[in-house]
Amino acid sequence: MTAVAHGVGSRTDLPIPLGLALYGAGAAILFGFAVLLLFWRTPKIGGPDSGRPLPAGVQRVLDSPVTRRGLQAVALALAVLVVVVAFAGPADGDRNLAPWALYVTFWVGLVPASLLLGPVWRVANPLRLLHRALRPVLPVPPGAGRLPALGLWPAAASLVIFLWLELVYPDRAEPVTVGVFLLVHAVVHLALAAWFGEEWFARGECFEVYSTLIARLSPWGRRDDGRLVLRNPLANALATPELPGLAAVVVVLLGSTAFDGLSRTVFWQTGPGAANDVFSGTVGLAVMIGVVAGLYVLGARLSGRMGRQDPAIQPRRYASTVVPIALGYTVAHYFSLLVLDGQKTPILASNPFGTAGVDLFGTYGNVVDLSAVSADAIAYVQVLAVVVGHVLGVTLAHERALRAAPRRPASDQLPLVIVMVLFTVGGLGLLFGF
Amino acid sequence: MTHRRLLAALLVGGLLVAGCAGTDPDTAAGSPAPSSTSSSSSSSPAASPTEDGQRIEVEVAGGQVTGDTGRVPVAAGEHVTLSITSDVADEVHVHGYDLDAELVPGTPAELTFDATIPGVFEVELHESGTVLLTLQVS
Repeated sequence: MTAVAHGVGSRTDLPIPLGLALYGAGAAILFGFAVLLLFWRTPKIGGPDSGRPLPAGVQRVLDSPVTRRGLQAVALALAVLVVVVAFAGPADGDRNLAPWALYVTFWVGLVPASLLLGPVWRVANPLRLLHRALRPVLPVPPGAGRLPALGLWPAAASLVIFLWLELVYPDRAEPVTVGVFLLVHAVVHLALAAWFGEEWFARGECFEVYSTLIARLSPWGRRDDGRLVLRNPLANALATPELPGLAAVVVVLLGSTAFDGLSRTVFWQTGPGAANDVFSGTVGLAVMIGVVAGLYVLGARLSGRMGRQDPAIQPRRYASTVVPIALGYTVAHYFSLLVLDGQKTPILASNPFGTAGVDLFGTYGNVVDLSAVSADAIAYVQVLAVVVGHVLGVTLAHERALRAAPRRPASDQLPLVIVMVLFTVGGLGLLFGF
Repeated sequence: MTHRRLLAALLVGGLLVAGCAGTDPDTAAGSPAPSSTSSSSSSSPAASPTEDGQRIEVEVAGGQVTGDTGRVPVAAGEHVTLSITSDVADEVHVHGYDLDAELVPGTPAELTFDATIPGVFEVELHESGTVLLTLQVS
């Protein structure tokens, strides 16, 4: 089985109607400039110390090592099952649980889970459990002192590797590929954690960093004093630590989703991507990430220059404001995959090894209903996600600019707003298929 | 602040209204299963627009695909006849609709089904992995 654009899947979305694309683009442009002209002039969104604390008892349970090790053990058991099924289950990717579990249920499902519940994979990351188990036999991490300087750059690299596998590698949907990837991923990150210490997972493990970043738009946050709080997701997003490499992580996420969109267009399939091979895919992915990176850095630095800010820290400072735009792209491209092809995981989980007569949950006979959500509903979700992501991004960037330079005119923000409008209009263009 | 609220409300409201007023082709919610699947060996005359539905023909020779290749638009609910002739033995698979047919060298294989599931679906050869065409059902 070869797979369509993303990791697995039996269908891709129809191009959105032109009217809807134009309507969304118009709304995005209008909002971008309205923010500069009409919006507030003093910071309005709460800072890192804002939020309503959760009851102390709830925090004690959530933060307790027992809860964390328990969740990590459950995640580890599921991960081991997926790896075993990848090697010992049905050889046909269409009938094997592993590709669907990794690319659809886990990777795409991590987005709604983190958005609703907070940084779930930081809490349940099974590699942290394995690292703890290994620690008694490991020396003191020799590289721990050097980790802070690396920032989130390791995570950006780790994300690129996974996204290349998901979007470019031709045998990505083969169960064996999934099994090998998960094993290599575990071994490499355990080795790096042995070198850099447990903090490595928060800086370099793509899934944990992804979940943590998406959770910045959830209502759950941690105040400066360590208290778990319920607060405005926008305050949460603005409290994202401005680590080196944060912009790289965001740009990789946005650029890779843009490439996924591009690879579904007739333009790509009959033009530069017609060969449908590793070379064209790798170049396409690199170009899209490069275009997004170039535009973003240009916009952020120009805004910084106009506002008399240090241009070098600008990309990092505004990176968290691009997260909603990246999230909007992600919802637009993977919503239908999760609700339609995502039905496959529970079906196959009912009989993971394809043994005759086994039907653990009574769901093995079910058939994926690809008409469960109408094509119109999908198109509206797509456009709404991109436009709402844009609105939140522009709003956050405005607030961020007010905090950095309260007395500067709003026109300083123009370059960054224009870049955000370009991202949104470009994203809608990809959904429309040009 | 009021300006902002008003503007946001207008934008969101506008999108929602557009959402309700969309021209929904009302895809039949019935069984999305194909009406019939057949792998016939009768060599039919080429490119005859059948009275019932749409006929799509492709030919594979020396690894090259000719005929109705690329993105083929199909109206939702249309009765589709897909005819594939290959010079090597293979198996053709229609994604999403999950239809298969064995290909015998030189003999056209036919797949007939009702295009009831909207979306974009690949039709590909299992062995070689070649994508013959993409059905765009809308």
